[in-house]
Amino acid sequence: MGELLRVDDLRTYFYTEAGVVKAVDGVSFVANEGEPLGLVGESGSGKTVTVLAAMGIVSRPGKIVSGKIFFKGEELDHKSEKEMRKIRGKKIGYVSQDPNSSLDPLFTVGNQLVEVIRTHFEDTKDQAWDKGVKLLKLVGIPEADTRMRSYPHELSGGMKQRVAIARALAGEPELLVADEPTTNLDVTIQAQVLDLLKTLGKQLNMSLILITHDMGLIAEMTKRVVVLYAGKVAEEASTLEVFQTPKHPYTAALLASVPRLDRKEVLVPIGGGIPNLITPPSGCRFHPRCAYAKQICIDQIPPLEESGQRRLVACHRWKEIDLRRKA
Amino acid sequence: MGGLVNYVIRRLLFAIPVFLAVSVITYLITNAAGDPVQIVKFGIRNISPAQLEYLRLYFHEDLPVYIRYFYWLNDFLHGNLGQSLYTGSVVALIVPWIGTTLELQIPALALALAIGVPVGIYSAKHQYTKGDYAITTTAIFGISMPTFWIGIMGIIVFSYYLHWLPAFGAYSSYPPYWWGSPFMDALAHIILPLAVLTLVSIATITRLVRANMLEVLRQDYVLAARASGVSEFKVTFKHALKNAITPVVTIVGLSFGVLLGGAPALETTFSWPGLGKAFVFAATRLDLPTVLGITMIITIMVLIANIVTDLAYAVLDPRVRIT
Ligand SMILES: Nc1ncnc2c1ncn2[C@@H]1O[C@H](COP(=O)(O)OP(=O)(O)OP(=O)(O)O)[C@@H](O)[C@H]1O
Ligand code: SF4
Ligand SMILES: [Mg+2]
Repeated sequence: MGELLRVDDLRTYFYTEAGVVKAVDGVSFVANEGEPLGLVGESGSGKTVTVLAAMGIVSRPGKIVSGKIFFKGEELDHKSEKEMRKIRGKKIGYVSQDPNSSLDPLFTVGNQLVEVIRTHFEDTKDQAWDKGVKLLKLVGIPEADTRMRSYPHELSGGMKQRVAIARALAGEPELLVADEPTTNLDVTIQAQVLDLLKTLGKQLNMSLILITHDMGLIAEMTKRVVVLYAGKVAEEASTLEVFQTPKHPYTAALLASVPRLDRKEVLVPIGGGIPNLITPPSGCRFHPRCAYAKQICIDQIPPLEESGQRRLVACHRWKEIDLRRKA
Repeated sequence: MGGLVNYVIRRLLFAIPVFLAVSVITYLITNAAGDPVQIVKFGIRNISPAQLEYLRLYFHEDLPVYIRYFYWLNDFLHGNLGQSLYTGSVVALIVPWIGTTLELQIPALALALAIGVPVGIYSAKHQYTKGDYAITTTAIFGISMPTFWIGIMGIIVFSYYLHWLPAFGAYSSYPPYWWGSPFMDALAHIILPLAVLTLVSIATITRLVRANMLEVLRQDYVLAARASGVSEFKVTFKHALKNAITPVVTIVGLSFGVLLGGAPALETTFSWPGLGKAFVFAATRLDLPTVLGITMIITIMVLIANIVTDLAYAVLDPRVRIT
C-alpha cells in the first residue's frame, strides 16, 4: 500500500482586511493508495483549503505559510508553476463542491473536456474529442456524442456533476479528490454519484479522498478518516475505529449528529458555532463547545498524540474519557 | 444555432413597438408645453410670417394631436424630417453632423476598449498591489471629473499656454493648416477632444472590467479549471475574460447608443460640429423641427445599438438565447 499524498504540518492563512484567517493551521495526513480517505469536519473547518493548498491553487489573499507536501515521495511545494500543472489534473484530480458552478457556462462540455485532455496529452483535437466522448460514457452520460455539444445550463445537476467528474478524470489521475460531491444534489442522484465514484475507483485503479461533513458518507465510502476542527486535525484513525471508539469529543459529537437507521435516537446537534479563525480560542480550539473541557484545555494546545496503532488524537483528556456510543 | 436565429428574429420584431412607443413619447413631449407654433412665435421675436406658416404646416396645427402624430410619423418614415427654421432641410443638416460625431466617438470607444480592457485585467490580477491601487485611484479621478472640465483644462494647457493643439472645431476652413496639410490639420483638431473622451471611457471600462474579473476569478469554474491543470493564461483569457467581458459588452453597447447622439457637453466645449453640439444649438434657438429630427435619429441609433448589443450578448452567452 504505497503512499500517494502526504501533507506535513500545512499552514494556510488568508490575509484579509479583518485580520489573518488561520484557515489551516498545522494539518498533517497521508493518503495511501487504495485506502479511500475521508476529510470530515463542519463547514469552515478547512477541508477545501487544505486540498487546494496541496494542489498549489490557493489564491489571494490566501497564502501557504509553512508545511510540506509530497506526492509519491516527491516534494511539491518547491515545484515551479509549470511543473505543478503536471500534477494538477494529471496526478491529482479535483471535483469541486457545486456542480452548478464548476463548469464554465460559456463553453460546451466538449470544449471543456478537450481543453483538459489537450493540456495533459499530445492529442489532436479529434483524438481529444473522441476521448471526451469516451469519458462521458465512462461516467454514465447517455447520448455522449450529443452531450459533448451541450452547454452546462442544458444539463441537470446530476449530469453536470458527472461531467465535472469526467473532467477530473481527463488527465487520468492516480488520486481523485471529491469535495462534497453530493451536497448539492437530489437524494436519488446522490446515491448514483457515490456508486459512480466507487466503481471508477476500482475500474481505473484510482484512489479517493472524499471531503464531506457527513459521517454517513464517511462510513459508506472511506477506510480512513481525518477529522478536522477549525483548521487543525482533531483525530485520525481508520473509519471502523472512529465509529466504534471515537477518542476526540468533537468526533463523538459529529457521530451523535448523524441519524442512524438501527435505532430511534434523538439527534444531538453540536452546540455553538465554528470559532472565529482570526482569533481562535486559546488552548484546544474546541474547548468553548466541549462538554469535557477543563482548565488545561484553555491553557495548553493539545498535541496530536498516538493513541493506538495508526491512530492519532489531539485531546488532553482522551485517556480519561469514554466516548463510546451507548449500545 | 436554431435558437440563435429565433432569438434574432424575436429581438428585431420586439424593436418595432419600442420604436413606436418612443416616437409617441418624443412627439408628445414636444407638444406638451403647449402649441409649438405659439411657443416659437413667442420665443423668436423676429420670426417671419413665411416661417410661421411653414411651422403651421409642419405641425398640422389645425388637427388634434393624435392625428398630427400620424402625419408626422408618416413623414418621418419617408425620410422627411422637415425644414429647419434657419438653414434648409433637417435631413441634409443632420447627416454631416452624424458623420462628425462618429468620427470622434468611434475612435474614442475603440481606444478606450483597447486600453481599458487590458488595464482592467491587469488591475484585477494584481489586486491589492501598488499597480492596482494606482490604477483604481486614477480611474476614480477619471470618472468623477466632469468631461467638460477636463476638456477646458486640456484647452488651457495645450492650446492656450503651449500652443501645441487647436482649441476649437474639427478642421481649419482655410490655410494656414495645422501641421502642414488638411489631413494633418484634422488630426491636430481631433487629438484634444478624442483624448478627453477616451480618458473618461477608459476609466469607466477599466473599473467595470476589473470588478467583473475579480468576481469571475472567484468562481468555481475558474478554480476547477486551475485544478485540472489548465494554464493560468487560459484561465485568465479564455474562461475569466469571456465571462467578465459579457456584461461589459452590454454596458458599452448601451452607452454607445447614447454616445452616438454626441456628447453635448464635450462637443460644445470643443465646438465640435457634431450632433450633440447641433442639438444644444437648435434647442436654444427654438428650432423645433431640427430638435425633433435629432431626437428621433438618436432614438433610432439607441435602438440599433440595443439590438446589436443584445445580439452580441446572445452570441457570447448561450444562456440568453432560450429566454
Ligand atoms: N478567500 C478567502 N478569504 C478569506 N477567508 C477564506 C477564504 N477562503 C476560505 N477562507 C476561510 O477559510 C476557512 C476554511 O474554509 P474551507 O473552504 O476550507 O472550509 P470547508 O471545510 O471546505 O467548509 P465547507 O464545508 O463550507 O466547504 C473558512 O473559515 C473561511 O472563512
Ligand atoms: S482538549 Fe479538552 S476541550 Fe479539547 S477536546 Fe479534549 S477535552 Fe475537549
Ligand atoms: Mg469546502
